[in-house]
Amino acid sequence: MNLTDQEYVERCRDGHPEDFRLLVDRYQKPLFSFLAGRFRDRLQTEEAAQESFVRAFLSLKKLRKPESFYSWLLGIAGRVAKEQFRALERRQRDREAAETVLANTADHAEDYPLEEAITVLPESHRQVILLRYYEGLSCQETATRLGLPLGTVTKTLSRAYALLRQELQARERAEQTVNQTQ
Amino acid sequence: MNCAECRENLVACVEGLLAAGQNRECLAHLGTCAACRAEHATIARLQRQLVARGQAVAEMSIVEPVMRRVRAVQETEPESNSFMKLLLKNRWGFGLGAAASAAAIILIVLLTSSKAQATAVEVMEKGAKAVAKLTSIHLRGQLRTLPADNFSYINPDCDFVTIELWKQFEPELRWRVEKPGRVVAMDGESTVFFIKPPANIATKLPHPTPGGAFDTAWLDRIANLSNTITNELKNALAKGWKLSLSEETGADGRSKSVVTVMAKSGVPDNDYVKNAFMEAADTRRVYRFDAQSELLESVQIYLVRPSGEVQIFDLSQIDYNQSIDTNVWRLDLPADVGWAQLPENLPALPDNEKYASMTAEQAARAFFEACARKDWDEAGKFMSPVNASLKDYLGGLEIVSLGESFTSETYSGRFVPYEIKLPAQEFNVRVSNTNSAKRCVLTGFYDSKLQLQQDFKWSTEPEVLTNNDAYAKLSPAEAVKAYFAAQSKLDWVEMRKFTSEFDVEETKKQVEMAEKHGMDVHKQMPVVETGETTWSPEQSAWFVKCRMFQVKKWNLAVRKDNPAGRW
Repeated sequence: MNLTDQEYVERCRDGHPEDFRLLVDRYQKPLFSFLAGRFRDRLQTEEAAQESFVRAFLSLKKLRKPESFYSWLLGIAGRVAKEQFRALERRQRDREAAETVLANTADHAEDYPLEEAITVLPESHRQVILLRYYEGLSCQETATRLGLPLGTVTKTLSRAYALLRQELQARERAEQTVNQTQ
Repeated sequence: MNCAECRENLVACVEGLLAAGQNRECLAHLGTCAACRAEHATIARLQRQLVARGQAVAEMSIVEPVMRRVRAVQETEPESNSFMKLLLKNRWGFGLGAAASAAAIILIVLLTSSKAQATAVEVMEKGAKAVAKLTSIHLRGQLRTLPADNFSYINPDCDFVTIELWKQFEPELRWRVEKPGRVVAMDGESTVFFIKPPANIATKLPHPTPGGAFDTAWLDRIANLSNTITNELKNALAKGWKLSLSEETGADGRSKSVVTVMAKSGVPDNDYVKNAFMEAADTRRVYRFDAQSELLESVQIYLVRPSGEVQIFDLSQIDYNQSIDTNVWRLDLPADVGWAQLPENLPALPDNEKYASMTAEQAARAFFEACARKDWDEAGKFMSPVNASLKDYLGGLEIVSLGESFTSETYSGRFVPYEIKLPAQEFNVRVSNTNSAKRCVLTGFYDSKLQLQQDFKWSTEPEVLTNNDAYAKLSPAEAVKAYFAAQSKLDWVEMRKFTSEFDVEETKKQVEMAEKHGMDVHKQMPVVETGETTWSPEQSAWFVKCRMFQVKKWNLAVRKDNPAGRW
């Protein structure tokens, strides 16, 4: 079964919570990669990723645009990460060490906007990128999985690359403007 | 192919999906069009980033744990409860349930791990502060590498070789890195890199560099301690590396804080350069700080392979803030040094199009063919510099075969497999029978001008064999023939009858290393023909003239990311 995000969200809301598994399967890797840029510990990353999905599941009814599930999920993950840092800060007897962790985390997060940039892709493009790179399928395997001709997959990839580059450049410009203002 | 057609095909080209003809057309266009080439490079870079991201998370899966938590939440809680309540109850439920012990273990690991990491970070931070205002640093260590190979080349099968770095931060930035076969120095005005003879090649960046140029970055990172720590932390954050801390008492009786970093290169296991260079290796790095002074005292790096760990680097000497002689920054180069052109300065040729449109395989063939006919102008279009030793080595070679090129995660060019018959090398073997066994034995290799190339370092007299008479009857040339025949069969017992223990052991080592690298040693053993024998009254020995024919099978590294767009 290969439905759109919106269809899966609606099925979960309509009494098929087990279908949430398909959304977890679809987005666990980019989410993990997104969070790995914020934690230095794999266990912490995994904990934050699980927490983000559980929260997303519990809030599914509040999701206004089911087609934007992935970008909404990243928003939740960002908040979970912040909460975990605060908890870490409280746990640290030495505040300085915690500040180092936070400072480095902030620096690092700026280097890793790829998963965020992927949120701007139309869903069809995003699926191709995720299957090809995060699931490690070849272009032919991606085409077979999605039931598309190979040529459509390569054209979709081309367009996805162009959009990703535009988005990354826009983010870079925005960051420069902020730095100049500061 | 025009620009529009090329751009439409770029992603398919990067993905390796174009048919051979189309791919050739695309590459040909890239060779001539800088704008499309830049576009191609951007796409390839983005693709590499995406591939790396995917590989970093390839093994993870949290579907089952998430779904267990989702089910638990559904079973225990009415919809109206807030998330925090749900979560608390959910965790409490785990505590009471059958999974209690597993959950407790996970929690302990998490806390211990976070605490150990935070403390390790603290130790490194203090270490960085202790050396925040250095005026100079001198590092001296041992690296498993080949003496003249790249600065970051590592090979656990090699012996340890000394590698040294000097860096002056104040009053002006200067630095130098050296190993037995190569050296690079920055004197404040330029950065000069020199591969010592017999290669005798130098190249120069006409400007100062902050450090790390010419493949020395990994060592420079250690010299810039505060950066090292920041980078280690950033990488640990990004890639999920582990940091841990332990305490121990050093040989000086003082307490030491030991921070261990488990570093993953991210380079796939089946990549050609995996574990051959520092940047492409999975390593365990051990930083040892003095607990009282907080100064870094030593660094050990271990290569982590499925077959086990092996130490590849031992930095045992770190001198802080010592005065460094100004001569250290200056390199005295031989008058006949060959100056290599840097790829970034490569000019376009009048017929650049012809070269830019070549495939990697075509470029490799064109280079070898130029060497075969000793057309050094042509060969020089592919390699710089073409000096006397290269001419001697490759002039007149014969191509046996060239394979299909392949890529590596960490190299932006391609590797072309090749097999060539090297031109005959002329040399002399010194033979002596002034020993108690009265047999002809080999004492060293000499070049065609009778300059010593390799001494066999006899430490004992040749033993008297049970059938000594039969061997004592052999002429010098016959002894040399028998020596090479035994060598080609890897018959060490027979070889030992003609040469020193040192020579046998050295040959064995080379053979073992070649076999570990997957070379077909039997096929690549040199074939040696003997020529005339000359008596040298000064040396009281014979010199047997020899010609060596050898096949070489390896991979040629080529790249075309230069302004001229040619290989």
